[in-house]
Order: sequence, then structure tokens, then C-alpha cells
Amino acid sequence: MTAEHSAATYGEVVERDVVIVGGGPAGLSAAARLASAGLAVTILDEQPELGGQYYRRPAPAVARQWGDHRPEGGRLIAQVRAAGAECRTGHLVWGVEDDGRTLLASDDAEHPVRLRARYLVLATGAFERVFPFPGWQLPGVTTPGFAQHLAASDHTTVGDRVVLAGSGPFLLPVACSLIELGVSVAGIAEAGRPYRPSLRALGTLGHPARLRELASYAARLARARVPIWQETVVLRADGRDRVSSVTLAAAARPARPVRTVEVDALCVGYGFRPQTDLARMLGCQVRVDVASGDAVPVTGAAGRASRADVYVVGEAAGIGGVHAAKARGLAAAHDILTREGRSAVPVSEARRMMSARRRLARFTALTDSLYPGPAALLATLAPALPADTVVCRCEAVRAEEIRTTAAGSADGDLNATKAWTRAGMGPCQGRECGFAVAGLVRSVMPGRGVGDGESRVEIFPSRLPVRPVPLATLLELAGPESQKGDA
Amino acid sequence: MSTRTADAVIVGAGVLGASVASHLARSGHRVLVLERGAPGREGSGTTAGNLHMQAVHTKRPGQAVPLDSARFLPLQRAASDRWETLEEELETSVEVRRTGGFTIAETEEQYQELRDKHGWEAAAGIHTEILDGDAARAALPLLGPTVAAATWCDLDGYANPLKVTPAYLDSATRHGGRTVAFAPVRRITRNGDGWRVVAGRGAAERVVDTPVVVDVAGPWLGEIAAMAGITLRMTPVAIQMHATVRSSATMSHLVQHIGEGLSVKQVTAGNLLIGGGWPALSMDLAGRSDASLDSLVGNVALAVRVLPFIRDLRLLRMWAGPLAATPDEMPVIGEVPGAPGFYVAGGTYAFTFAPLWGETLRCLIEGKPPPVDVSDLGPGRLMEQWSQEDNGPEQENHQDRRSKRC
Repeated sequence: MTAEHSAATYGEVVERDVVIVGGGPAGLSAAARLASAGLAVTILDEQPELGGQYYRRPAPAVARQWGDHRPEGGRLIAQVRAAGAECRTGHLVWGVEDDGRTLLASDDAEHPVRLRARYLVLATGAFERVFPFPGWQLPGVTTPGFAQHLAASDHTTVGDRVVLAGSGPFLLPVACSLIELGVSVAGIAEAGRPYRPSLRALGTLGHPARLRELASYAARLARARVPIWQETVVLRADGRDRVSSVTLAAAARPARPVRTVEVDALCVGYGFRPQTDLARMLGCQVRVDVASGDAVPVTGAAGRASRADVYVVGEAAGIGGVHAAKARGLAAAHDILTREGRSAVPVSEARRMMSARRRLARFTALTDSLYPGPAALLATLAPALPADTVVCRCEAVRAEEIRTTAAGSADGDLNATKAWTRAGMGPCQGRECGFAVAGLVRSVMPGRGVGDGESRVEIFPSRLPVRPVPLATLLELAGPESQKGDA
Repeated sequence: MSTRTADAVIVGAGVLGASVASHLARSGHRVLVLERGAPGREGSGTTAGNLHMQAVHTKRPGQAVPLDSARFLPLQRAASDRWETLEEELETSVEVRRTGGFTIAETEEQYQELRDKHGWEAAAGIHTEILDGDAARAALPLLGPTVAAATWCDLDGYANPLKVTPAYLDSATRHGGRTVAFAPVRRITRNGDGWRVVAGRGAAERVVDTPVVVDVAGPWLGEIAAMAGITLRMTPVAIQMHATVRSSATMSHLVQHIGEGLSVKQVTAGNLLIGGGWPALSMDLAGRSDASLDSLVGNVALAVRVLPFIRDLRLLRMWAGPLAATPDEMPVIGEVPGAPGFYVAGGTYAFTFAPLWGETLRCLIEGKPPPVDVSDLGPGRLMEQWSQEDNGPEQENHQDRRSKRC
């Protein structure tokens, strides 16, 4: 490697006080506060518009006809722009270099961009937790998040008659969005038993105010006579060219059918997993959350990670919902301003924010306690998964192959199982199948689990690139020399 | 902790350890393979799986001395024959594909090197053909305009490293061998005429008495030998590999460069593997080595120059892994002088040589003549006291051969 080849010479370089990765509620909240205090801030998002998943902007035509489903998101984005933050949409952060001091991104035209900052705020959000079942590759089978995305940004429905399944509070607002669009929601299958004895009972729980939002969804679903089947999971989906029916089973006996429902779309999701690839690549310490089995960055009160110049906020720091995400974004911003000696936050406001964050944390804990922990769910679902179910869709790897390898040559090691079966090696980099593969490995080798030494942490390691990056982008990093000889 | 016995303890369940375990077990020896992590996950888990049968003239970027190709080629010939029958021998598919390969040249100087190499190949009984740039492009239209010449060898190919190691281990198991994963070897001591090997800790500790220890620990070969009081001058390096997303274009041949660090091939799944020995950012023998962006960019730029269609693909993954290497870039195989029963094997192109080295070690251990002469490849040359005194003349011969070649 010669000096004139050095990658450090080419591509746009951005240097700021703060770089924020992710333009959702947490990132936007941090950006607005930091930019209005006069810091040089850049906020990046891979989507063509800021907003993230929660404040996803509707398509212009949709907005004209149907309005904005979350106008507060539009206001927050406007605030960020008015405060002078540089907004870079269509930017994919795919790696780090320079010992974690530089972020590598590609812009909306796939040209390389390097970003350096004195503070990095990672607000990379979360991705949906999916678990496979026979027939999950059929057209018409999707996730609640995708259904919500279509409804919000395109005013389009996933189908006419839909069953929602999985677990967690998110199924309720999605069902409401679909009903608003005229979809017939045939029912919601919830793996746990959060709504005791029924949906209506939600509002009468010990914390009515905190559960008000959830209860209001519940009330709308009750009015629409949407049945909620609790302690129920998807056994399989059937259909020829598209899903035409879903068969459900009791969560306790996930292999025995109890009900078949005719549908033209099925949305299954078990909540969300924090997106921590970038934090891990930057060398931030993570811990394994026992209840979910997910990797969660180790952070201080204001979201400061084990690396002092890195903050992890929003869902990337642990699933907590939009209010918690915004509070975490603000807390990180205030911490940075304090360190910069620019704190304009009155003590009373800081106190108020701190207690709001505590309240939100309690709310999250309360909501979490209503639903079954993903790790516990996984322990029931994984052993019951039929042998020929495709688990990794990118690489077409079936459950049996994963079990056999995990119990055999991989000796219970998740990464060895990945290497030998190719499960998790496709373009999604294991985001879809990682949860299930970990569950299958653990189900055949129960002794090898969380906490059993560092090599047994049950997540796929974070590797560069975080997302597949065009080779043409890399060539630009190499500079004009490398373009020689192209046909 | 009770003490067990074995006819041979093999340290390292990589492709070499697996091969020698299978060969010994099939020959009736009670073998025990000890692996510090999961089998086949270290060096053998990061190799590209190339079967190099034409001269591997490519120098890794930064490599100090070139390989002695004239000495190497007869060994490659012997290795090639063994891959031919491997799947039958192991009774399973390990995705051996002998679809041939090109070594390309871009300059007049490199073209001359192709012609030299062609001569040594002919002498070793490896058939290669020299094509000019247009003939090479006619044979493989994916080759770019800078390709001035190429040699073609129909013995080159690929096997899936993630299948070869398990298949060998399975074969060893079927013949009474045992593999213990997550059992790092901690101590090796002389025990009468044999050796005592201690692996694992606490309740998982195991003590094994054996007349034969086979150190095939790849990049850790030197560390393991040191436990037995043997100092070997190994020079492990970390290199990196790059994988693209699947390509709709089909390239069924291995493509290498004679003058620069490049090897490209398409795996069964459709992804392209781009390598060529580019150095990793750091080597961490205790954990994970870090890949280098400069190496990535340099390797990709070279790959795109030679195979322009790659430009439109995306990089899916990259990884770095340590490579066992010796100061003279030649493999090491044989019994350690002064340490009877202690065998080592490793170094350059261990994957290509795994079937041959497994058989060779079995013969050496059984006191039979090996299928190829490896007397000049023994560990003696890597031991200070031996290389300076006893093996002095041999070192000189080695140098002579190289100077003739260069």
C-alpha cells in the first residue's frame, strides 16, 4: 500500500461540532437543541426525508389529499432546519475508520463522505423483531411496521382483510391505522396476555394516565369489534400465489392449531430491536439484555456511551417509545452543551426533564411487564419451529440445518452456526433472522447462553460495511488513480 | 481430574487438524482433537477456499520474500490429485469445483513472469496454457482491457472451507476419533517418552497422555510449540477478504494476478470473493483482527481494473483473519528435531495442502515414507539453534533455488 493510494485523500470531508446519525424523534430533538445553541451540527438519515419511522413524512400527494398523520414531526423538522443544522438525507453511514474517529457514509448520489465530529450522537433507531413460521415468505405476509409505513407515507393498505400477530403494544396502533383506511382487521393474535381480562380492562389498570394512549387504541379496536386472541401465535400461513389464510395456535402449545382465519394480508412482528451495529463498530460497550436477548449499549444517564465522545439515544439505546426517545435526545444535547460550557438550561428545566425521563422509564418498564419477554417467547417458539421452515430468507437456510449445525460441528456457537449454514450472511446482514437463529441455537444447546463468556453473546458481530455499499463509492475513496483502465 | 490417553493429540480443529485427524483415525489410531474455540472458525474459517494448482506467484502486498515456486509446484501437483478423490474419500460433498483459473498479467514484465512460471509448471507436470490478452478475453469476456496476457490452468478451483473441515472431522469421528471444542490447550509437558497435554480449565479441564502431539494451530502454531519448550520463528500475518452481494453475471473461474495481490472468484451462492493477501489493519491473535479500509479500497480498485463488471456490485462483507506464515514463505511440516513425537504443520496455502499434509503427517507418524519429500520443509529451519548449526547447508540450498528463480 503506497501513500498516493491512501484512502484518506479522497472524498468529501465534513467536520462539525456534532454529527447525529438518524433523523427520527431522538436525533431531531438533539439536533434542534444543539443547533439552536449555536453548535455546528450535521444530522444524517438514510431516508430521503427526515422523520425516521415514527415521524415518517407522507408522500406529497398523500399529504395534500389526506394531511399529515403526525404534524408535530413536520414542526420538529422545520425547527431543526430553522436552527441551522445541516440536514443530509439519503446518506447511508456504512462504516468507521481512523480508529473510530471518522464515519464513512455515502451520499444520495452514492459519493463517499467522511464525517468527523467532537461529539457523535447515534440515533439509529430500531428494526422489527421477526420470527419465522411456515409460509412467511408468501406475498402478503409482512410486518406491522411495514403496514404502518405504507399507511402513513403512501395511504396504501397491505390488504383488505388482515390479521395482525406477534406481541407488543405496537400491534394496536397499527390495527387502528388500518381500520382508518377501511381495512377489515380480522383479529389480533397477541402471544402474551397483557389485556386481562380484556382489552377494555387496560384503562382501569393502576396507571391509567400512562396507559391512556394504549387504552384509546384499545377502545377504538373494541368499537370496531376487532377480536384480540391472547396467548396466541401464528402456526403457519397458507396460500398459492399470496397468503390466503393464517392458522393460529396457543402460545403454550405452538405446534397445535386452534383457529384458521381467511386473510389477504398478515402482519407479524414481536416489537423492535435496537440498531446497535454502528455503536458496536465504534467500540462502544454493549450488554446483553436478559429479557429481550438484545444487545443494548451501556450508557450513562444522558446517553453517554463507554466512549466519552459518543452518545446513544432513542430506540438504539433500548426500546422505550417516542416520548422516551425525544427525552433521551434532549438529555444528550444538554449534556453536550454542559460539557461545552454553553449550558443555557435552567436548573428547574433540567430537573423537570430528569423526572420526565424517570417517569418514561417507569412507563416503559410497566408496558414491558405487560408483554412476554422476547427471550422467554423465543424459548417457546424456537423448539416448535417445523424443520423445513426457511429461517434465513436471504440465503434460504432452513430450521433443521441450523439446529443440526448448532448441535453438531458449531458446538452451540452462534457465529460458527452462521458461518456454516450461511444463515445471516445475506444482504440484510442477519437483521431479519438473527433473533430466530439465536433462538434455534440456544434451543439445541441450552447450556450455552447469555453470560457464558464474551464469545457467547448471542448477536451477530458488527462488521463493516453496516449496510452493503456500492463498490463504485469505494473506488471514489481510492481517488482518480483507481478509475484508470475502466472500459 | 482423571488422565486419559490417546494415540495422538491434535492441537487445532482447523482444516489441517481435521485432515490429519481423519487420516490417522482411518488408519486405526485413537485421535483426540483439541480446539480452543469452535472447530474451523479461526484461520480456516476466514480462508477463501481457493485450490491453487498453477504457480501461486502472487505476492501479498508487503510480503518480503516471494514463494519458491519451482519447489512448490510438485507439491501442488500432489495436492491436486488428492482433491480429485476427496469427496469420495469423505463420502460427502465439500463443493469441490475444478473449473480452472487464470493468472493474468498487465505489463510486459509480468508477461515474462508468466512465461517463466509456465516453464516450471510444465516441469512439475501441471498443464497450463499461455493466452494473449485477446485470447484471454475471448475465453473470459469479463476480463478488462488492461489484461495483456494470462495463463490458464484447468486444475485450479475452489472447495467450500466451511464444509471441508466439518467433513474431515465427521470422518474422524466415524472412525473413533474425538473432537473437543472450546478446550484451549494450556500446557504441554514431556511425560516419559511421550507428552502430557492439559486443556480447558476447572471442571472442563482434561489431561491427556499421548506419544504424539500434532501442532496444527495455524497462526497459533508458534504459541503451542512454545508450551512444549520449542521456539519456532513463525511470522503470522493478518490479511483480509472482501465479499460482494450476489452477482447475476457468472464467472466460474478463479482469477489471479501475477504481479499484484489479487484473487477473485465467485462462490456457489453467487457472491464474489475478492482477496489477494492485502494486509489487515491489525492482527489480534487473542481476538478479532481489524480490517483495513486502505486495503479494501486498494484491493477493490485492482479487482475492478481486471474485472470491470465488479464495479456495479455492492460490498456485502469484509473480514480479517490471521494467516500462519514462515519467514521464508514456505510451508513447515515435520517432526521437531529434539522433540520426538512432536509434529508441526502449517504455513503457506494450508487449505490447498490440507489433504496432502494430512496424509504426509500420518506417514511420518507411522514411520512410513511420505507421498512427497518434505525433508527440506521441516521445522528445524525455523529453530535458531538448528538453522544456524545443523541446517546451515540446507538453508543455503534454499536460497540458491530462490535466486535462480528470481
